Amino acid sequence: MIRFDRVSKTFPNGAKAVRDLCLEVQDGETLVLLGTSGSGKTTTMKMVNRLIEPTRGRIFIDNTDVMDQDPIGLRRKIGYAIQHIGLFPHMTVAENIAVVPKLLNWPPNRIEQRTGLLLEMVGLDSAEFKGRFPAQLSGGQKQRVGVARAIAADPPIVLMDEPFGALDPLTRERLQDEFMELQAQIKKTIIFVTHDVFEAVKLADRIALLDGGKLQQLATPVELVENPASEFVVRFLGQRRFHLSLLTRRVDSIMESEKVGDVKPEKPSAFLQAAGSLLDALYRFKTSGRKELMVYRNDKCCGSLSKKRLLDNITMTLEEVGRKQ
Amino acid sequence: MIMLSLLLVSAGVGAAAAAKAQSQIGGESSGLTGNPGRGNGLKALFSVMYERRRPLQRQLVEHIQLTLFAMGLAVLAGVSTGIILTRAKKLAAPILGLASIIQTIPSLALLALMIPLLGIGLAPAVAALFLYALLPIMRNTYTAVDEVDPAVIEVGRGMGMTERQILVKVEIPLCVPVVMAGIRTSTVICVGIATLCTFIGAGGLGTMIMEGMQTRGSVLILAGVIPAIILALALDGLMALMQRILTPTGLKLQR
Repeated sequence: MIRFDRVSKTFPNGAKAVRDLCLEVQDGETLVLLGTSGSGKTTTMKMVNRLIEPTRGRIFIDNTDVMDQDPIGLRRKIGYAIQHIGLFPHMTVAENIAVVPKLLNWPPNRIEQRTGLLLEMVGLDSAEFKGRFPAQLSGGQKQRVGVARAIAADPPIVLMDEPFGALDPLTRERLQDEFMELQAQIKKTIIFVTHDVFEAVKLADRIALLDGGKLQQLATPVELVENPASEFVVRFLGQRRFHLSLLTRRVDSIMESEKVGDVKPEKPSAFLQAAGSLLDALYRFKTSGRKELMVYRNDKCCGSLSKKRLLDNITMTLEEVGRKQ
Repeated sequence: MIMLSLLLVSAGVGAAAAAKAQSQIGGESSGLTGNPGRGNGLKALFSVMYERRRPLQRQLVEHIQLTLFAMGLAVLAGVSTGIILTRAKKLAAPILGLASIIQTIPSLALLALMIPLLGIGLAPAVAALFLYALLPIMRNTYTAVDEVDPAVIEVGRGMGMTERQILVKVEIPLCVPVVMAGIRTSTVICVGIATLCTFIGAGGLGTMIMEGMQTRGSVLILAGVIPAIILALALDGLMALMQRILTPTGLKLQR
């Protein structure tokens, strides 16, 4: 668990990058620090591994102040991935991944095993990519190696600073999907920095929206979109709020729950996920051509949703969003 | 490096031609002192070189010694200073500027300047050569280290490398190609200027060249010049090989 206790950072030139930040990141959570340039999100992230040190306040990792720990040892236990990736050009993919394990003096065969496993985890064929050099990789491949390198020593915490920012939109989307699958498997505590609100709502368990170094709202994606805490948040979401709403609201929030006693048929070819977004539901209605679909959670039917109900709800959202603006 | 060697060649040929022209004007036979008539070109050259093989050998060894001593010191001083300057950037401009000024001092003048400080012989010669070899190495090292991708440094630090580990595992390997290029340049400069060191009593192939010029024996001049050129090319070739060997594979692929 990572706790920011009234943390402030003022740079020598007088710039107040972070002001009085209070924030808790739960174990296994993906917390996204969202904000525009200069909002203090990267500075906040870098204070966790002491690349930047707070001017005031304290940061605790599992109740130990980071300032009380040796910075080098601290950083070796925290994964780090950045936008420009920064693969060491003179090292092979395998050597890049092995950097932290080597710093921690892991035995060579453990390193080799782990490297092979990590490459598979990030979707790269181990035999093919182990000996390649960064100059021989595409942008997407480079960042996959970057992520593998960040989690190589199996750190409980991973810091990611706009890791997909330098990639083209298609590759970015693919890596985001793979990131979510990976995180579902490994369940690390992740602090993820981005300025892209769509990326934030897609990846986050919770979003911390920052502006001018101050925390504007800390909420789950759907809460942030449905209940913006201030004028700033409304303005930040702006015209995208409707789209975001369709992305964040879930089918199970508007479905009709299963009625007791109904006969349950086999799972049909077209159905809705309980945790799926309204946008996804819209798409499924379109492709299936049906007027009503069953809703499943973990292969068990838990309700149903009619197309009409979905569309009514969406129209209501549109009016609400329009009104609040 | 090839350019510098070509410069040496043309200088040598020029000196030989000048000596020959002078002797023709003076009506004396060109060729060697003590050998009547003019031999035809190459045969005369080889017979002279064979006749004078002991002094030639000694001068070659002196020449190599001068070069290696000066280069050894220059590499040590140049690389370490280059690295230090990247940590103290404010000093970089003045110090690189100073080295640059030293380079523009005419070689013979700098050699002469060393005499009151270090006497004559090996010491002032090595000192002057060292000063000339310093700039390319120092500047290349500074530039190479400074231009390492900052993302790579940031990641190294963020992953928990100590400053020393970053220097040794990241910065230095990435700088090898550019630093080696600087060392190559300096080596060829050294071999060239070392031909002048005879004037302050440090020997070297310049001795034979000077003797040839004094006696207007163009073949003698060439007997000194050609080994110097070959030495420059050979050392340059050796450095090139080392550069290729020491450059990490990952960097070669970036080209």
